[in-house]
Amino acid sequence: MKKFLAVVKREYTQRVRTRMFIATTILLPVAMSLFVVVPALALTIDAGGPMRVVVVDGTGKVYQRLRRALSDDDTPVEQTDATTPDATGGFGNSQLKKAAQSSGEFVLESVALNGRPVSDAKSELDKRLRARSIDAYLLLPEDVMEGGQAQLVRSNAVDFLAVRRLQEGLRRSLREQRLVNAKVDEKTISALGQPVDLEITRVGTSGEERDSGGGFAFVFGIGLIMYLTTLLYGQVILGAVIEEKETRIAEILFSSVKPFTLMIGKLVGVSLVAITQLTIWGLAVAAFGLYGINVLAARGIPATLPRIPMVFYLYFVLFFLLGYYIYSTLYALVGSVVTTAQEGGQLAMPIIMLLVVGFYLFLPVGRSPDSSFAFWVSMVPFFAPVTMVVRIVTQTPPFWQIALSLLIGFGTVMLLTWIASRVYRIGMLMYGKRASIPEIIRWVRQS
Amino acid sequence: MSANQITVKLDHVTKRFREYTAVDDLSLNVRAGRVFGLLGPNGAGKTTTIRMIVNITVPDSGTVELFGKRINSELQDRIGYLPEERGLYKRMTVVDQLKFFADLKNVPTRVVYQRIDDWLARLKLSEWKHKRSRELSKGMQQKVQFISSVLHDPDLLILDEPFSGLDPVNVELLKDVVLDLKRAGKTIIFSTHLMEIAEKLCDDICLINRARKVLEGSLRQVKQGFGRNSVALRIEGEDGILSDSPLITNIEHHSDEMEVLLSLNADPQELLKQLIANGTKVTKFEMIEPSLNDIFIAKVSEVS
Repeated sequence: MKKFLAVVKREYTQRVRTRMFIATTILLPVAMSLFVVVPALALTIDAGGPMRVVVVDGTGKVYQRLRRALSDDDTPVEQTDATTPDATGGFGNSQLKKAAQSSGEFVLESVALNGRPVSDAKSELDKRLRARSIDAYLLLPEDVMEGGQAQLVRSNAVDFLAVRRLQEGLRRSLREQRLVNAKVDEKTISALGQPVDLEITRVGTSGEERDSGGGFAFVFGIGLIMYLTTLLYGQVILGAVIEEKETRIAEILFSSVKPFTLMIGKLVGVSLVAITQLTIWGLAVAAFGLYGINVLAARGIPATLPRIPMVFYLYFVLFFLLGYYIYSTLYALVGSVVTTAQEGGQLAMPIIMLLVVGFYLFLPVGRSPDSSFAFWVSMVPFFAPVTMVVRIVTQTPPFWQIALSLLIGFGTVMLLTWIASRVYRIGMLMYGKRASIPEIIRWVRQS
Repeated sequence: MSANQITVKLDHVTKRFREYTAVDDLSLNVRAGRVFGLLGPNGAGKTTTIRMIVNITVPDSGTVELFGKRINSELQDRIGYLPEERGLYKRMTVVDQLKFFADLKNVPTRVVYQRIDDWLARLKLSEWKHKRSRELSKGMQQKVQFISSVLHDPDLLILDEPFSGLDPVNVELLKDVVLDLKRAGKTIIFSTHLMEIAEKLCDDICLINRARKVLEGSLRQVKQGFGRNSVALRIEGEDGILSDSPLITNIEHHSDEMEVLLSLNADPQELLKQLIANGTKVTKFEMIEPSLNDIFIAKVSEVS
């Protein structure tokens, strides 16, 4: 036991102290902060200034509503024609400034046709668009309420978010106006427009639960973290085993400690390093998540962190460890039969393929977590760490399935460890050439 | 531990690697408190034999006993092993590695650092204690490796080519340490193909070649049993008499003397008489014991 602990301790302390470990542990949260905090801050900075839009309102009724919709002004619109008909019928700048009304993101300006053909207005406005004195113009034909087509002409330099807001605002204005035309009074309209506070509840086999609601990004994130950390720490094991073989330390070690103890000590030591790093990353994610939500909330954008039941964290850890031990024993096996790091890289390709396949299964499994396909792949130990976790996050399967998957995985780990330790014991002392597959099989059989 | 006790006993040990037999029916006894030379050319099976003694590999047949017990992993803590293929963790400091190797041998923590300091001082490495091993020269690394094999004060020390790559000063330093350990009652198995060093250090030897034992016994016995009869000779005057003498089978000329190999059963006294009778001035006449090197070459080429 003392020997085992000595191996674990050496693997852990030596790795945690390396610059590489410290750098990656700190850099990831820093990089994340760049992706989370910086965009959040950037959102608060309005670089482009307001979007200048000319509205040619053929109905003479929509403009005021649109202005109100875009400025988030909730006071009911006076039922008067607010548009000021241009006496001269021209579209000159001096006239426009008078009619222009600023509403935060937008500077709106109304232009009346006064019986002139639309094409006249269009060519005039096109000129102004080219001269960049406006950013877009919106043509609303008289029959726009009855299904006539509205038209937005814009320059290249328009913020896509603003266009979307404009579109939504127009839809809302038209809907309201149609209601007015149908003799619905303003108060009723604004009452009808009240947004719904929707809480999504899902009924699973284990009873009613809150929806974790993370959606695709969350599932993708979990899958990616499982995949990347398994890959990363598998490579660490590969490197550690090859180092001991290349530097010929293995023979000294084997004269003091059983190869099995040594290999397990190594796997456990590195897994503790992984858990240390993941914990630090996890705390950083939580911190940035809370920060990001606060920033969004400050701007009036409601956001919540996906709610995750505590037991899920236990599952994450268990399935991470499962994936880690499955793949790292394979890596240890590979490391002990090769002679150089390059050879190790080549021979590790099939392992990486297996990992990649497992990772991409998050897509079909995430889309239909209750399918029999999802069930079967989440029972395959090589894929379970990603697929079962995706199932748990999206639509938690019955407990027996999770337990069965863990049990199969645990059995696989035992079997792989048994095989790998036998290969390791002999492979580590074979210098000079890479072992062939039949040789490896013979080593496993040898007592 | 009395001198007659057997530390290591191999009984009809055979180890095969598929088509190839690395050790074939080898039996040997290593007596306690002696330096035992396990000699043989490259590929003779020395390393495989040693690996079976330290319980890294298991023989296909035959038994290995240490301190009167069948070899097991607990007995490993009483062995210090410096393999021929050896290394250090490049990025670990000297003291950290030594502590690690000591932990693997169950050295009590309270004595470990004191022992490390003592050994580093003894092998003149104290100032390197906190350096990473990749900053050390090859010779220094080798001394660190040596320390790792003796830190737990083993009763049996196995050194496989311990001097390769060391400069003469360090060879002497290490040789003294080995002899001190012997004086302290430790048993030492020493494997090498450098016969000059083996000759100076070993009490007993075993020569193996092509997986089999060729020769065994104390150094004295082996030399006496090796019936080679030669004389170191320095003479002034005519040496034609030598080439005509029926007593002589071969003459080797060195810088200012010659080595004369006598024919089988020839009496060296006869040669001296003849020389004096011939009026040759003899300034040196010395019986030469066969060197271990000669025995080695003769025995190995005999089988080939």
